[in-house]
Amino acid sequence: MSLPDATVEKPAAERRLTIAKAMSEAIGQEMERDPSVLVMGEDIGKMGGVFGTTTGLFEKFGAERVRDTPISETAFIGAAVGMAASGLRPVVELMFVDFFGVCMDAIYNLAAKQSYFSGGKISCPMVLMTSVGGGYGDAGQHSQCLYATFGHLPGMKVVIPSNAHDAKGLMLSAIRDDNPVIFMFHKALQGMGWLGTVAGSINDTPESDYLVPIGKASIVREGSDITIVGLGATVHQALTAAENLAKTGINAEIIDLRTIAPLDRETIFASASKTGRLLVVDDDYLSFGIGAEIIASVCEALPDPLKCPPQRIAHPDIPIPFTPVMEHFLLPDAGKIEGRVRAMLGENT
Amino acid sequence: MSDIVVPQGQWEADQEAALSNWLYGDGETVQEGVTVAEIMVEKTSFEIPAPTSGTLAITVAEDEVVVPGQVVGSIQ
Repeated sequence: MSLPDATVEKPAAERRLTIAKAMSEAIGQEMERDPSVLVMGEDIGKMGGVFGTTTGLFEKFGAERVRDTPISETAFIGAAVGMAASGLRPVVELMFVDFFGVCMDAIYNLAAKQSYFSGGKISCPMVLMTSVGGGYGDAGQHSQCLYATFGHLPGMKVVIPSNAHDAKGLMLSAIRDDNPVIFMFHKALQGMGWLGTVAGSINDTPESDYLVPIGKASIVREGSDITIVGLGATVHQALTAAENLAKTGINAEIIDLRTIAPLDRETIFASASKTGRLLVVDDDYLSFGIGAEIIASVCEALPDPLKCPPQRIAHPDIPIPFTPVMEHFLLPDAGKIEGRVRAMLGENT
Repeated sequence: MSDIVVPQGQWEADQEAALSNWLYGDGETVQEGVTVAEIMVEKTSFEIPAPTSGTLAITVAEDEVVVPGQVVGSIQ
């Protein structure tokens, strides 16, 4: 497996990090470089973040720049918008994206529209980092993804890394961006033991300063028979499915979106044109989702129809179940992807 | 050969620790000082650095409970 970019040669000695450590390192390096950067959120101080996103920052930068907040997303995310308007670059953690309801006014009516409403005079350089995804039996208000909910609203950039290398580069890009950036991280990839971790998310992550551009997808596996588009955890599921498909001569090309908004349609168009088949896999709710947007975009743009109807796999339109048996029955996985690809290619499964 | 040992004195004696991640696989080459594994104690993670450069041998699998001073692998 060669994330994030098959064309980049690996250095001799790898320095592997989890996504949690990569995010902490990026924030810490940016705080050193730029005194206007600060972090706020619940348990992000001494504890280092429930998902390890701020490990070591409190000890290094102190309580003034690494601020533990009360359990009021309404208050501290609203405060971050004000800070961003007055010259600071806050990074705030919304512990679970599922909690967006109590702070959405600050996010999409204030942060997302600040630059537009002020004629570009006041920007909103804030990063909202937030955990997404289920699979660990934490029920319907701690397991959602809501990619489409955030991707749908103009004025915000939305990113999600599938591996530590991209997490660091995307975080540095996000903090330096003058627009609000929603930085989603998937719990199954975070590298926190109590959530399990997909091994492929832990990869070589340079200590140096580098940027992964927002708005650019990555082809993580080249293939000729079908394009599979994934993001976050589903990239790894697609890679596993592709290994099994390759055993019977089916070569899948896999795109890691990396950014939800703005969506890198060009990379998807080029790949779907080449392979002639398209499957989109995400773990958000199915309807009005990323799959729908990508398939509609491809159908609008490509002059010729694909070899078979484009398809999508996502979580069905019901709340995510608590019981693991039901939850895993509904969430995407490598087996479901493999089966769907074989069906699309006309194979009996 | 150098043993990879769970650190002592970093968490309370009554707290349960588990080996959460191996960042490198069995048989892979690692450099001295890189984090080879992480220990999770009540949602806080602790790092175990490679004591020397060489080939990693893993003896304790991910998700297993570990105690301070325990040998979880070695570098050869």
